[in-house]
Amino acid sequence: MSRILSRVATFAILALAALAITAPFLWIFRGAFSASDAELYKLPPTFDPANLTADNFGQVTDQVPYFRFFANSIVVSATVTAAQIVTCATAAYAFARLRFRGKGVLFAVVVGSLMIPIQVTIVPLFLVMSKLGLTNTLWSLILPGIFSGFGIFLLRQHFLALPYELEEAAKLDGAGHFRTFARVILPLSGPSIATLGILCFTYWWNDLLLPLVMISDTERQTLPVGLVLLAGRFSTGSLGTIAAGIAMAIVPVLIVFLAAQRYIVQSIASSGLKL
Amino acid sequence: MTERQAPPAPGRGASPQRPARKDGLAAFAFLSPSIVTFVIFVLAPAAGVLYLSFYDWNLLSDGTFVGLANFERLFTDERLLRVYGSTVYMALAILAVNVVLGLLLAVLLETRMPRWLRGVFRLSFLFPFVISAAAVALIWRFLLNKDLGLVNYLLGTLGVDRIDWLGSSVWAPISIIIVNSWKTIGFSILVYIAGLQAIPHQLKEAAIVDGANAWTRFWRVTFPLLSPTIFFLVVINTINSFQIFAEPRVLTQGGPGDASRTIVEYLYDRAFGDFDLGYASAIGITFMLVLIVLTAIQFRFSRRWTFYE
Repeated sequence: MSRILSRVATFAILALAALAITAPFLWIFRGAFSASDAELYKLPPTFDPANLTADNFGQVTDQVPYFRFFANSIVVSATVTAAQIVTCATAAYAFARLRFRGKGVLFAVVVGSLMIPIQVTIVPLFLVMSKLGLTNTLWSLILPGIFSGFGIFLLRQHFLALPYELEEAAKLDGAGHFRTFARVILPLSGPSIATLGILCFTYWWNDLLLPLVMISDTERQTLPVGLVLLAGRFSTGSLGTIAAGIAMAIVPVLIVFLAAQRYIVQSIASSGLKL
Repeated sequence: MTERQAPPAPGRGASPQRPARKDGLAAFAFLSPSIVTFVIFVLAPAAGVLYLSFYDWNLLSDGTFVGLANFERLFTDERLLRVYGSTVYMALAILAVNVVLGLLLAVLLETRMPRWLRGVFRLSFLFPFVISAAAVALIWRFLLNKDLGLVNYLLGTLGVDRIDWLGSSVWAPISIIIVNSWKTIGFSILVYIAGLQAIPHQLKEAAIVDGANAWTRFWRVTFPLLSPTIFFLVVINTINSFQIFAEPRVLTQGGPGDASRTIVEYLYDRAFGDFDLGYASAIGITFMLVLIVLTAIQFRFSRRWTFYE
């Protein structure tokens, strides 16, 4: 009897938590389709298919160059992700599999870099970019994201866990470090690289600060700034349009996440994530 | 052959001695992309912040060297102390929610249930983690609205009076705690799931055979084996929750007063509100030192309670 009770309690807690976490999304998606603000603020929220409209989405694309923002965000996030995977994987290989002088100190620097919030260094970063003549270009959003202490750390933990025997076999076959890395380590690291890819993509897709500081030209902005622009323009106007804008910014990243989420659990499980 | 036989390597014995110099060259090649980007886009700006902290500079005129004056100002800035107070309060609460509630939910997720149901739970816990803080804050600005928000409506149906979530000095920091925890707890749950899955089943079964109840099993088997995971989460969540910026910026503007202001938000305001860049830099430098010391203490202290196989 108490067993059944504890199972019921378990599922009740999980269901309640899941509902508390997803409800705001359901509400914003429902709001995106509402015909008027009165409808959006109606309590309790109702769901009447007859009252739904897709006009809000059209409003978004009329008010701000949504597809431009979208394309800029894709270019920035995809480029940063590709570049970050290269720099992090190579560095992590060195930290996990090679022996060299100064390794401990360099690795401490990598972990230490996690403690430097970008808000703290944003002014000098802006000066570096303007010296390079890159402000107001997408490069100013891409280049600062390429180094990632977290990425190096994550991949190193995973590479450390790979068996040495495989590497030895490759060495006996005459493979150098680069071939060992490319042919042995990388093929075994799909899940953790996917994890880094997802975390990196979503982080830079969502970043607000850097585009706000670096980009002055509306045409070169990314989606989060677009969202803020939209919200600002509508501070007295249609909330449904803002809801639609939020929904349109969320969906692409949800798709990326859904497509690759199973790798995250796998890779975190395999690296154990121990410090 | 003048070469002497190297003594067998201690430990696993799987990796024989390799000439260090050859690795050194390869290591340099593998590390150089990171080193170059680190130096230009992390180290140089960080050094720039240190440099600026000795200057009085408002972005327009030339700066004047003021020595340690910016750092002396830190000690007379009463607001800074208050902001550190609210930052620590909110960060510790968020840390506790993530580490404790995250563990509870992850353990409950281990209960036997259909695969699809487990998948649904996991995904719903993780959703908010991938959404931009700007979108999250905008959504919650609707939900926490005192008169029109869904949260107060739901509380109202339970007979609770309307709460001024974003406008009262008691509730504003709690709002930040709720919203940030809501966004980040999925990551902690995920890391816990991974840690729990790595615990060998035989150990739990052995404990069951020995007659240990669920409570004893958790504290004697699961908890010690999970301690490195808990430690990882404590470190990462501390670093992250001390650096909160977007939620107070969009939800409460740090107010009322400084009740929900964080250090990073205060720093941003000094830099881009007052253009007091030297002082903002001094705040940044000391804040980084605080984080480094905090992390070092956690590493030191962790040896007492973490258990590695």
